[in-house]
Amino acid sequence: MSARRGERRALLAVVPVVVLALVTGGWALGSARSPTRITLELSWQAPSWARPLGSAEAGVDLLALLTHGTARALALAATVAAFGFVLGTPLGAAAGLRRGRVLAVTLRLCDLVQAFPSFLLALAVLSAVTAPSRAHLAGVFCLTSWAPFTRLAAAQARTLASAQFVEAARALGLRPWQVLARHVVPNLLGPVAIQAGGVAAGVVLGETALGFVGLGPSDGVSLGAVLEQGVAGMLRAPHVLAFGALAVAAASGSLQLASEGLRRWMLRAPAG
Amino acid sequence: MAGRVLRALLSQALGALGVVLVLASLVFLALRLLPGDPAALILGEQAPASARAELRSRLGFDQPLLVQYGRFVVGLIRLDLGQSLARPGRTAFGEVWGALGPTAALAGLAVALGAAGGVGAALLGVGPWLGAARRWVVRAVLVVAATPLLALAPLATYLLALRWRLVPLPGDPDGGFTGLVFASVLLGLPLGAQVARIARAALLEVTHAKFLEVAVAKGGGPWRVWVLHALPVASAPIVVVVATQLGALLGGAIVLERLFERPGLGSLMLGAYAARDIPVMEASVVASGLLFVVAQSLSAALQAAVDPRGGAA
Repeated sequence: MSARRGERRALLAVVPVVVLALVTGGWALGSARSPTRITLELSWQAPSWARPLGSAEAGVDLLALLTHGTARALALAATVAAFGFVLGTPLGAAAGLRRGRVLAVTLRLCDLVQAFPSFLLALAVLSAVTAPSRAHLAGVFCLTSWAPFTRLAAAQARTLASAQFVEAARALGLRPWQVLARHVVPNLLGPVAIQAGGVAAGVVLGETALGFVGLGPSDGVSLGAVLEQGVAGMLRAPHVLAFGALAVAAASGSLQLASEGLRRWMLRAPAG
Repeated sequence: MAGRVLRALLSQALGALGVVLVLASLVFLALRLLPGDPAALILGEQAPASARAELRSRLGFDQPLLVQYGRFVVGLIRLDLGQSLARPGRTAFGEVWGALGPTAALAGLAVALGAAGGVGAALLGVGPWLGAARRWVVRAVLVVAATPLLALAPLATYLLALRWRLVPLPGDPDGGFTGLVFASVLLGLPLGAQVARIARAALLEVTHAKFLEVAVAKGGGPWRVWVLHALPVASAPIVVVVATQLGALLGGAIVLERLFERPGLGSLMLGAYAARDIPVMEASVVASGLLFVVAQSLSAALQAAVDPRGGAA
């Protein structure tokens, strides 16, 4: 019984990120507050009743800026993680089933891609555009987001390859891709999908870092831009920095928490 | 045996060079695929056509792409990618060379502090020195590991530099060594937390090993038992963690250089990006990639040295 409760407790870890996504997403869609409207006379104003989080540079409503920025960061992270999952899982499963040299090369490639400074890659690729858009950023992150999924799928497929039902499928004369698609991939989807939380958290932080150094989306609505303004206005308006840092920590932290909770839940759940 | 080691080293070096070449080609292509006239971007739309044509031919942009690429690769090998556009009279690699020192100091100090701090925290979390309070060390490590550097660094700067005046302000030219140490501590914190987690797990794994029981039976104190006997076993995973965090460390260094207005590779790169200083941009991206690859190879060699049992290799 206590194992059940432990399972449910582990699943609760998903709640913060779901709430954060729903609240910021709903707010961004439903509220009339604009994250870009400039009201110069309100520049750097402290929180008030009309503007609960105060104003940022050029009198932009900080509440609107942060909710839109968080929602867009989460949407970007979800897109990139989904892309990595869809591309990386079959790749890793195929390599894990083939074993031998293919597997070794694939794992080496994953090592390289995962260890490589994503910042450098982003800078190299983004130099092709004068003002990066969110689609460009998504493209940059998608270049590397498959690697964690591939690595895990390869490890899972390697153990599955010697399972009896896979051997039976082979013995029945199924082609390798049929074995892969029908028997291997469906059985490793769960554990591999859990990687998504970690990947998404990485994307949120990556987007924030790029925005902070001035390589963010050109519309200026991003958590990184808020942090950059917070640093620039540190003396006049420390609230911008405080709320910005809090939003970054909440977005990346809730994703990490969810991924950790799902991993625990997966470990406890009965195999099969 | 020696032949195998030599072959492994050679393949490592070739792989490293391959990575740098891929990155260099990527930045080369990205800068050439730029929509519009790069000369107009650099000089402004109002610049006379003759000046723009002159700049294009100086950068070699009027040549076929393959010829440009060939010249680029030759330039890479000779460490000569031409002169900086933003600061005429200076070569691109000269600019990079000048920026390399501050970044290497920042990253090197951060690795040293992070590794030492992480190992210290792990030992405190496992050993008997703190008693029941060691639980708090473990929790603190978890909190630090979950806190993004991007959120922590600006807040810490606000509190320590602006509020309490304990460290020099960002961009303070007199900041010197204290500023460097402060930035390194911030950069080393996430690394230290990762090292502490892995080192603690590795130490816990050997807690019940026979050789530790022997060490205790021989009358060794906790210091002798943990630091002299247990820690060497955990050293290989620690090196692995540092190696996997090097990429993140470089990204963090760029962010911190921007935050503290420190000179370095990151500042150079971002400045060159903003000013469309193509030669400096190419040189600094290639140099950063090279720095990363060399550090990674070094850590692989170190890993083999501290753990002669050998892993997959």
